[in-house]
Amino acid sequence: MRTSLKKIVVLSTILTILGFSASSLLAGGNLLIKNATVMTVTSGVIPKGDVLIVNGMIKQIGQNLTAPPGTRVIEANGRYLIPGIIDTHTHIALSGTNEGTEAITPEVRMADVINADDPSIFTALTGGVTMVHTMHGSANPIGGVNVVLKLKWGKPSEELIVKEAFPTLKFALGENVKQSNRTLLPGRPQRYPATRMGANAIIRRELLKARDYMAEWDRYEKLRKSKNPPANLIPPRKDLRLETLAELLRGRLIARCHAYVATEMVEFLNLAREFGFKIGAFEHAWEAYKITDELLEAGVGVSVFIDSWAYKIEAAEGIAYNAAYCAQRGILVSINSDSSERIRRLFNEAGKAVKYGVTPDEALKMITINAAKQLGVDQIVGSIEVGKQADLALFSEHPMSAYTRCDLTIIEGEVYFDREKLLQEREAAAIKKGGN
Amino acid sequence: MQSEKTKSRRNRGALVIFILVVSAMTFLSWVAQSANAEVKPAYALVNCRIIPIAGPILDKGTILVRDGLIEAVGPADKIKIPPDAEVIEASGLTAYPGLISAHTNLFLEAPEPSEPRQPEDFFQSLTQPAEPQQFPELLVLKQLKPKKQTIESYHKVGITTVVVAPNRGIFQGQSAVLNLNGDQLQAMVLKQPWALHINFTTERGLYPSSLMGTVAFLRQKFYDTLHYSDHWKRYNSNPLNLKRPEFDPFLEALIPFVVDKKPVVFQCNNQEDIKRALRLIAEFRLNGLLTGCNEAWRVLELLKNSRVPLLLNLDFRPPSTSLYAQQGDAVRKKAEAEIYPANAAILHREKIAFALTSFGLSDSSFLKNLKLAIKAGLSQEAALRALTIEPARWLGLEKQLGTLEPGKIANLILTRGELFDEKAKVVRVLVDGIVFNYEEKGQ
Repeated sequence: MRTSLKKIVVLSTILTILGFSASSLLAGGNLLIKNATVMTVTSGVIPKGDVLIVNGMIKQIGQNLTAPPGTRVIEANGRYLIPGIIDTHTHIALSGTNEGTEAITPEVRMADVINADDPSIFTALTGGVTMVHTMHGSANPIGGVNVVLKLKWGKPSEELIVKEAFPTLKFALGENVKQSNRTLLPGRPQRYPATRMGANAIIRRELLKARDYMAEWDRYEKLRKSKNPPANLIPPRKDLRLETLAELLRGRLIARCHAYVATEMVEFLNLAREFGFKIGAFEHAWEAYKITDELLEAGVGVSVFIDSWAYKIEAAEGIAYNAAYCAQRGILVSINSDSSERIRRLFNEAGKAVKYGVTPDEALKMITINAAKQLGVDQIVGSIEVGKQADLALFSEHPMSAYTRCDLTIIEGEVYFDREKLLQEREAAAIKKGGN
Repeated sequence: MQSEKTKSRRNRGALVIFILVVSAMTFLSWVAQSANAEVKPAYALVNCRIIPIAGPILDKGTILVRDGLIEAVGPADKIKIPPDAEVIEASGLTAYPGLISAHTNLFLEAPEPSEPRQPEDFFQSLTQPAEPQQFPELLVLKQLKPKKQTIESYHKVGITTVVVAPNRGIFQGQSAVLNLNGDQLQAMVLKQPWALHINFTTERGLYPSSLMGTVAFLRQKFYDTLHYSDHWKRYNSNPLNLKRPEFDPFLEALIPFVVDKKPVVFQCNNQEDIKRALRLIAEFRLNGLLTGCNEAWRVLELLKNSRVPLLLNLDFRPPSTSLYAQQGDAVRKKAEAEIYPANAAILHREKIAFALTSFGLSDSSFLKNLKLAIKAGLSQEAALRALTIEPARWLGLEKQLGTLEPGKIANLILTRGELFDEKAKVVRVLVDGIVFNYEEKGQ
């Protein structure tokens, strides 16, 4: 990822004025957006539609709506209002990505290292993104517990966490795992595993350990609750690593597995069947098109890139039609950025999918409602429906057009990004600076 | 003894701890003896303005000091000067309690970290466990080398008492409280150990190598300590059905802090560190304090609810994670000059308890930044309390330190001018009743 340079550019241009823009944008969660082309995603398009937001929720969708006095009104002039974009796979807003010294680290939690000051949050807002699934990296066969955030720029980290989302655990297979085994200190052994079969084996081994661990606790609980518990009964040692895996086996955590090639995905599906855990989606899944039957049978979705096929050895058999074909077969497909730069143009990525056979409506779903379903938040966001949280983005053109850009990004009725206002403030700041 | 030796190498750790404890006890008792043996003279500081912290300011008063303790404090006309007291004329000077810096790395000369052991053969390289540089059992006192010059420079900014904390690793070790009364370490000790110090850092090339790993590592160690302690307690009271737990020096060192609730100080370098520490303190019901915390002003509600005391440093540089550090030099410098210095003032306004420390700063920048904090809205009175009675309380030394009252340790400073004024100068310092004179000739 060569994003640092881009990051600096974005920072130096956009961020300097943030200090005095953030507070002035807040609308108190009440808004009326008028005359928009409302792309509801789940129930068609309303031309010249109005959306009324009260206390952060979508109250009314229709035409010629009126707002209670004092509500801020945004005139859309026919621009395109879409649900806030959801990125199902990123690593932004975190202090650290991988605990790469060991292969198995489910004890780590992304929620412990959120950095709400990460400017990537703002970068993402400029592209209409309102929610991200921010994850452990792909260095470890079993990584850490991920977290879903709303990009409420300027709010404290604890207010970003989306508690309604599925709790998910990161797995990774393939080259990243294999190639993360270089030693960091002289004299240390190389990290196991160094092969795909090793990755599969070590995951299986850990899951077996977790089973034993659960059995040990069950035995203890049974004795503890028995009529005559033995003297000096002490609980087993609490092992945070196995504790997390036990949660996976109990069905309270859902696996999200980074995988590229078909064989490793099928192996992982087999592991899930053997141990009875749920897979939320395969991440990247370049060869998903080869195993659509298996994915459909298991009910597992994919979260993919669009057109960077063959960018590395294990993507050699990736194809640009992957998303289109999988969607056509009925697999739940979302498009992710996996990058703090690409995140600001995720709508362009979806737009590119149209070239490869996805309908514009379906492409828009891949970055909104489909993503929401994969994260378990489709009851609250992902489409423009009465009763859902008002996470919205206003685009200048059709969001799948190559010429479109995001003008406004709204989370729960608060405007977190306003392009016009930002440009004005930037200009004012430049004049002020020049005047001195 | 012999059987122990042959039993296993594991017990070597136990032996080390044992020796350590015995030697600590021996020298502590030696300290007590030597303190008794030394007869300190009596002094009468006369005609000075007195800021006792404990009561109203006295414009012209007398302080009697005997055997290292304050014998009496009062208006000049009410205190009779005993015949054996050496009179120190202090007219034109103001007396304050000696300042306490509740977090420093003073005198700390930690040995270089040892390189990880090279495995002797391939088999060993596969089986050798990682050896992280973690030392909760480290007593900082063992790494200190007092220097006269350093003591003088601290005296000159008014500091007479310091907490010295170790500074490496995640579990950094245990701090001590020292009275800067000379150059004999043993005679300086007020409290040893005081607290366990924890930093959200990482291990070089070893687990945990990331912040998230560090949080998980801390939680695991805390859980392990609770389990280990419970296991031993039950085993010792009745071993029926119980396997004897294996001795673990690491967990053993954590028991006083995790189980017996001695203080645990978390170093917080940014607002998220503060939140991480507060979560750990709540999860394990630790007797926690936070040190550093120059972004405490961003976490007011959480701090108010938690009531965890802060040891604020006076470093106004925005941390690298901060938004203010990521928008170029101009924004960073503006924040350093205008936003971060108000930290203490905001906390005081919000009634959040804090002490001020000199941590991370040289003695001169400590004083400079202290004045900047006052300029940013912190009242002088609050600043003074945050360097005297507040830290004394949290160190559990409120009976000994923090105010000018009879019975307390004679730690006091005499200044020409008000302590926080630009031209103020510390001219005399008493620590444990020992007088240090910093009056320049001709004055």
